[in-house]
Amino acid sequence: MRHVISPVFVVAPFAERLLIRDLPHLPSDRRAAAVDVVVARVAGLPSVTRAGALLIGIVHRLLLVLPATAPVSDALARVPLPFLGDYPRLVRSLAYASIWERWPDTPVSP
Amino acid sequence: MLIVGSGPGGATTAALLAEAGVDVLILEEGPWVDQGAVAPFSLEQMERQYRSGGVTVALGLPSIAYTEGACAGGGSEVNSGLYWRPPLDVFERWRRDFAIADLDLDEIGQIADEVETALDVSYVPGEPTPQSQVLSRGAAAVGWRHGEIPRWMRYSQGGGRTGQRRSMTLTYLPRAVAAGARLAVGCRVSRLERNGPRAGTAHVTSDTGASSTVEFRDVFVCGGAIQTPALLQRSGLRRNIGMSLAVHPTVKLAARFGDAINVVDDVPVHQVKEFAPDLSFGGSASHPGLLALALLDHWREFRPALRDWERLSVYYAAITSEGRGRVVALPGLRDPLVTYWLTGRDRRLLASGLSRLALLLLEAGADEVYPSFRGAPTVRRRRDLADMAARFSVAKASVMTVHLCSTVPIGQHPACGADSFGRVHGTENVYVNDSSLLPTAPGVNPQASVMAFAVRNARRYVESR
Repeated sequence: MRHVISPVFVVAPFAERLLIRDLPHLPSDRRAAAVDVVVARVAGLPSVTRAGALLIGIVHRLLLVLPATAPVSDALARVPLPFLGDYPRLVRSLAYASIWERWPDTPVSP
Repeated sequence: MLIVGSGPGGATTAALLAEAGVDVLILEEGPWVDQGAVAPFSLEQMERQYRSGGVTVALGLPSIAYTEGACAGGGSEVNSGLYWRPPLDVFERWRRDFAIADLDLDEIGQIADEVETALDVSYVPGEPTPQSQVLSRGAAAVGWRHGEIPRWMRYSQGGGRTGQRRSMTLTYLPRAVAAGARLAVGCRVSRLERNGPRAGTAHVTSDTGASSTVEFRDVFVCGGAIQTPALLQRSGLRRNIGMSLAVHPTVKLAARFGDAINVVDDVPVHQVKEFAPDLSFGGSASHPGLLALALLDHWREFRPALRDWERLSVYYAAITSEGRGRVVALPGLRDPLVTYWLTGRDRRLLASGLSRLALLLLEAGADEVYPSFRGAPTVRRRRDLADMAARFSVAKASVMTVHLCSTVPIGQHPACGADSFGRVHGTENVYVNDSSLLPTAPGVNPQASVMAFAVRNARRYVESR
């Protein structure tokens, strides 16, 4: 059970999928480094926020195995509730900040 | 004497008490990081010197991201270093509204003089950065009151803008240690054990996981506006503790100019105060990672701007909020639950602030302005401002703050958590001496006000021993 709710299990696949979709030309080593940052930061979140993020992360994680994942995930991202819509934004924020801080020359679009 | 926390409140308290001959032990949860050891405003700094890597949030609609320093020296090590002398009109209002006994404004002024000397508060000897001059230029163009804010900074010889920030690890903490105080870092106080109105034992966990206890005669809790009420609550002290969190919420935008303006390791020193204290404008750190964050809310449209990151900079509109938040320690959890709720007036003020800030930047010569809210338009000329205002709502915006206070308000008013000199109600020897004491958000960078109260209260403690 502990494994199932670990940030590595919950967050890493979602973050990787998100970055592949957002930034398809991002080199894989940069993507992997950004995913590592996201996972580490989620693991270090304060107690309540971490619990909420992992809970919502599990929902998004489960969506990865369904067809038409992107529209559902995007719809969730627009829900104006704490945690639910904030989760993809949290993942993007951490990933983008780390990518462009380390590699300012990263292309912004294909 | 035990002092919990080594930020501007704790370090100042420690120095004054140690110099008065008190036997002082300072316990700091975070590590010691030498000034200059990490790049300012970088992810590495967030990892090493901020609580939870800088990813902390007050839940609400919208949630408000905030940051807390978690290192020796606390917030003074990581903030912008801008010094706002304690606003005496605000102190007078606090004295009256919160019934703070013996709050002498002349004394506060004298303390401010001492602090300014100790911290080398000074203006940039040469030209401020281009992104700072943008604020000055824009404000002048629209006729708004503005000015350079001094910093606690010892500038290099020769007139450049570089120098060494005079944070607590270079000022009050060495003073405390020189006077005999002991500082232990990596030590988290989980709770204070009380026997009736007196506390006598602190339960401590080190960063290696080892548990221990510390016996003390008196304790000053100086962990900041989030950690201080959480510790008091975990110690069974709840009367008016953590019920009145106040912040300066901010909304942001990025602006692109024709020339390179971005200095990645510095922040603008100008602020625009035409609408103060309700509304203020300033600039933020703007390295490419932070620019990506600022552009994230409408990434599809804004992302091409990031190619020109040398020509981009981030600016903010900050308000004095009438909303309130709570800090609640939850049983079994290490970290407290933090919430904050903006009022309707706050939302209108943030909307107005973003529009006015965009106008100011256009007047300063910005080619394009990128507001940080979902679905925001690119603003290129004045007539785009109406479209921006129509699309804006606070619920879509990335709201954040770096100023947290008022969770243990000082005074004799029934709503206060501590008496007029910081002693927690219902206790004989538990004191608070940090930003928690400020009765409301002061409307300016609060560190000087925090230190003014800290010096005043520490002196009173020494006199009354």
